[in-house]
Amino acid sequence: MDRFLRWTGTAIVLFIAAPLLIVVPMSFSTSASLQFPPPGYWLGYYAQYFTDPVWLWPTANSLIIATATTILTMALVVPATFALVRHKFWGKSAANLMMMMPMAVPHIVMAVGYYSYFGALGLVHSHLGVILAHTCLSVPITFLVLSANLKGFDTTLERAARSLGASQRQTFWHVTLPILRPGLLISALFAFIQSFDETVVAIFISGRGAETLPRRMFDSIRQEADPVIAVISTLLFGAVFLGLIAPHAWRFTRRLIKKDSQ
Amino acid sequence: MTDYLQLSGVGKTFGNFTALDEIDLNIKKGEFVTFLGPSGSGKTTTLMIIAGFEAATRGTITIEGQSLAGLAPQERNIGIVFQNYALFPHKTAIENVYFPLQMRGVKKAEGLRKADEMLALVGLDGFAHRFPKELSGGQQQRVALARALVFEPDLLLLDEPLGALDKNLREQMQIEIKRIQKRLGVTTIFVTHDQSEAMSMSDRVVVFSNGKIEQAAPPLDIYHRPASRFVADFIGESNLLEATITGPGQADCHTLGQVQFLPDPAKTLGIGQAVTLLIRPEHFKLSCAEKPDRMNATIIIDTIVNYGDNALVIGHKDTTQIRMRVPGADVVILKEGDPCHICWTDDAIFVLDR
Repeated sequence: MDRFLRWTGTAIVLFIAAPLLIVVPMSFSTSASLQFPPPGYWLGYYAQYFTDPVWLWPTANSLIIATATTILTMALVVPATFALVRHKFWGKSAANLMMMMPMAVPHIVMAVGYYSYFGALGLVHSHLGVILAHTCLSVPITFLVLSANLKGFDTTLERAARSLGASQRQTFWHVTLPILRPGLLISALFAFIQSFDETVVAIFISGRGAETLPRRMFDSIRQEADPVIAVISTLLFGAVFLGLIAPHAWRFTRRLIKKDSQ
Repeated sequence: MTDYLQLSGVGKTFGNFTALDEIDLNIKKGEFVTFLGPSGSGKTTTLMIIAGFEAATRGTITIEGQSLAGLAPQERNIGIVFQNYALFPHKTAIENVYFPLQMRGVKKAEGLRKADEMLALVGLDGFAHRFPKELSGGQQQRVALARALVFEPDLLLLDEPLGALDKNLREQMQIEIKRIQKRLGVTTIFVTHDQSEAMSMSDRVVVFSNGKIEQAAPPLDIYHRPASRFVADFIGESNLLEATITGPGQADCHTLGQVQFLPDPAKTLGIGQAVTLLIRPEHFKLSCAEKPDRMNATIIIDTIVNYGDNALVIGHKDTTQIRMRVPGADVVILKEGDPCHICWTDDAIFVLDR
């Protein structure tokens, strides 16, 4: 039984990891389209990705849109979360529900809505349009992460700071903010990824003017199945992997430095 | 000595609920006062009103004649040690202690030197650069104490600070807090629901019940001369027996019969007045035979709980339960279910007229 479970587990992990394992070798492939196993290896498609404006513009668009979305989302969600977690007011549960709404409504429904609504406002095919739509989609996950953090925050710490002579503003800067910093960073990261990864709404409203990277990849796979897609996937995978191990590496080196100095 | 901290008519209501009912209390400079009472009795509410975290519905609080009304918590110069210590987790021990000085604009070099001295005073040399989670409960407690004292507060408030510690550490911290408080001479209010803590540490104990002060007196007075039935019952173990006054220093106890007591000149007791007699369990003595020179009774023993050095003997006479504390060696002659003679003297009885 034990052995059966172990093999089943391994098989499931392999099945889940397979796309990643296939995408990495394909990015180094010499083939003209996506093909596995690759007939030969070279770095030509990497060169193409980093030089061809057809790929560079969508990359820049995606970075701009994701950064702006992150800033706008945080500017809206941070005060809203403090209000919803710490205070009682009329209409609080309705406000809570509205914060979570974009998560419950299918993206395709939202996309169709934005297409006609932003069309009327002249926001289709513009950066601003995509930023506004992505902000709306990023609110629920950011709110979830942040409110969990804020609920776990011991308000006695703020009382202690006040009793020790800190004004409300000083208490926020010296105590509340530094303690919530990890939660803020993680929720901001979620907002960024949500926007960078979003495809459905982007296909409907980003158009030529503000074409995002996922949209460009989608167009490419429909037309020529360009192996540059595998390059981008590999690079994104690498970025996420680095992001995951970076904190551990950072802690490890700090410990080494601390040991050296002792 | 004049009164340093004065609470006059301080009250707090939440809608229809009265959390605190017109408290009057004066505390002298340098005094160590304990607020003792069951939870919900108003002791913590009073503390939070003094600290400025809750507003009193009425009444005034003054320190050295200056009213605290309208002052925010950060303007009151009151040090507080919270129940869970409330140390800042992102700051090291010394940064925590430096924080109140930083807020007061003290230069960093001087502030850190002062913080270091205060850590040394609470016995934490060598732990300055540890984060709170790297310190034990007792050490965190000391950091919290140092942080609340480093800015020379006008008043130190301790909100059940020993609740989370185990028994040995708790006793050690009681002695430490008392030592530091004496050394600095800071006026201190200590909130607890643990009566032994209140007894061992305080110059004065204030007993709270239902939002009122039942009694404010030195610990021994609270124990031996309680002002009310509630205090007698709440502090220590007690036998509370109904009786009727039959003459000066004489009463007819419904359980023990005719008894003599030492009359208190401050109390006027009329003949026929219904009173409650307080006899502490350790004031009963066991005897093999009836002693003619003392007051006696015979009880039936129900339960013996042996603690080694002493034992708690619970018995009954008629339908009334009697509790006795006797030296451990005495219980070997006792058996549950047997009758037993007990005796006491007139100074063992304290008369409660309310």
